Amino acid sequence: MDVDFSPIIENWRFFAGGLGVTVLLSVVSAVTSILSGLVIALLRLYGPRWLSRVLVFYVDTMRAIPILVVLVWIYFAFPLLAGVTFPPFWAALVGLTLHIAAYAAEVIRAGIESIRPGQTRAALALGMSRTQLLRKVLLPQATIRMLPAFGSILTIAIKDTAIATVIAVPELMHRAETVAGQSYRPVEVFTAVMVAYFAILFPVTRGIDRLYHRVAHLGRS
Amino acid sequence: MTFDWSVIWTHRQALLEGAALTVGLTVLTMLLAVPGGIALALMRLSPNRLLQSASLGFVEFFRNLPLILVIYWAFYVMPMAFDVQFSPITTALVALVLNIAAYNAETFRAGINSIRKGQMEAALAMGMSRRQAMFKVVIPQAARRILPVIASTWISLFKDTSLVSVIAVGELAYTSMQIRAQTFRVLEMLTAMAAIYWLMGYPQAKLVDWIHRKYGVKE
Repeated sequence: MDVDFSPIIENWRFFAGGLGVTVLLSVVSAVTSILSGLVIALLRLYGPRWLSRVLVFYVDTMRAIPILVVLVWIYFAFPLLAGVTFPPFWAALVGLTLHIAAYAAEVIRAGIESIRPGQTRAALALGMSRTQLLRKVLLPQATIRMLPAFGSILTIAIKDTAIATVIAVPELMHRAETVAGQSYRPVEVFTAVMVAYFAILFPVTRGIDRLYHRVAHLGRS
Repeated sequence: MTFDWSVIWTHRQALLEGAALTVGLTVLTMLLAVPGGIALALMRLSPNRLLQSASLGFVEFFRNLPLILVIYWAFYVMPMAFDVQFSPITTALVALVLNIAAYNAETFRAGINSIRKGQMEAALAMGMSRRQAMFKVVIPQAARRILPVIASTWISLFKDTSLVSVIAVGELAYTSMQIRAQTFRVLEMLTAMAAIYWLMGYPQAKLVDWIHRKYGVKE
């Protein structure tokens, strides 16, 4: 078997651009997912009963449906229903956020609930308002406890952006398919891309671990 | 725009077969990935340095790659690199097992480590061999703690089987998208696909919650 990595070297700008799209899409969707997850978690914990039921249904639905199905539905089916089309990047951002936010909401809810109820009572007894309680007591401690989970949300986002290839988002995975098809060198292309993904994901998982060990003591109560 | 929902009923046979393959792939992958995960976890916990790093390397590698890339890689690279020819279904199974076994290995390792060291020492002091202590004392207790995590992995796996549609394995996602391409009933077929996944996945998600409530470790 002959090995020829020249298609990768010749197209390095194309791959670098794809890598940029992957990083941009995953960072943005991780941030939007965590922010929407925070809103969902707070509404679930402190909102009205009916809203909390709706949100539980939404979260469990997203746990039941694959991200591939969500992406394909938003990109191909939703425009037929609503009469508007999204460019692939935006469809992917919406789909990824819908899917990952459900997971983030569960993580954040568990983080807030992990703070002992005595602290809530103490804060209320001191005359703090609900907002103050959240901002000054619960969230600062919960955030530190949730850091490893936020890290895994980022890695999930990076891995899930690769699935956005099915709706032709020009990220790394999609560009790999393009070059593999044109050059008839799938072995070299997919191996190189595998190394690239590992090179991004491994430092992220390791970095989050390190960071957590450094700040874990701040989250103890 | 008019919609024609009868297309779903017309193709019910194909959709059912797709759904059956989705379930079959999930079950088969888990059946192979549980022993695989146990083997990797035991390698990691063994005193042999070589086995330890082999297991660590495998787990870290597959946990840090998008599954869809592993599927493509298994489809294009594996046949050329190892000179074997697999059907798409076998290829899909290999990719899924590699991925899930790596996750299971971490689950088993954490579960075994969560059993206090004193139990292992007590078993050894009573004259049990390491093997006996592991299989009669540590693993039965760890299993209870591991079950909820495996249940969560099960749900992810059930959803991840949809990714093997990219190498033309005729499970639910691939079948629905094929019918969509043949009939041009895009909205109907994609909605049906989502609905069937929901019908199968939602009860599983609820079951997993129940397992977590029943067996989850509370501190």
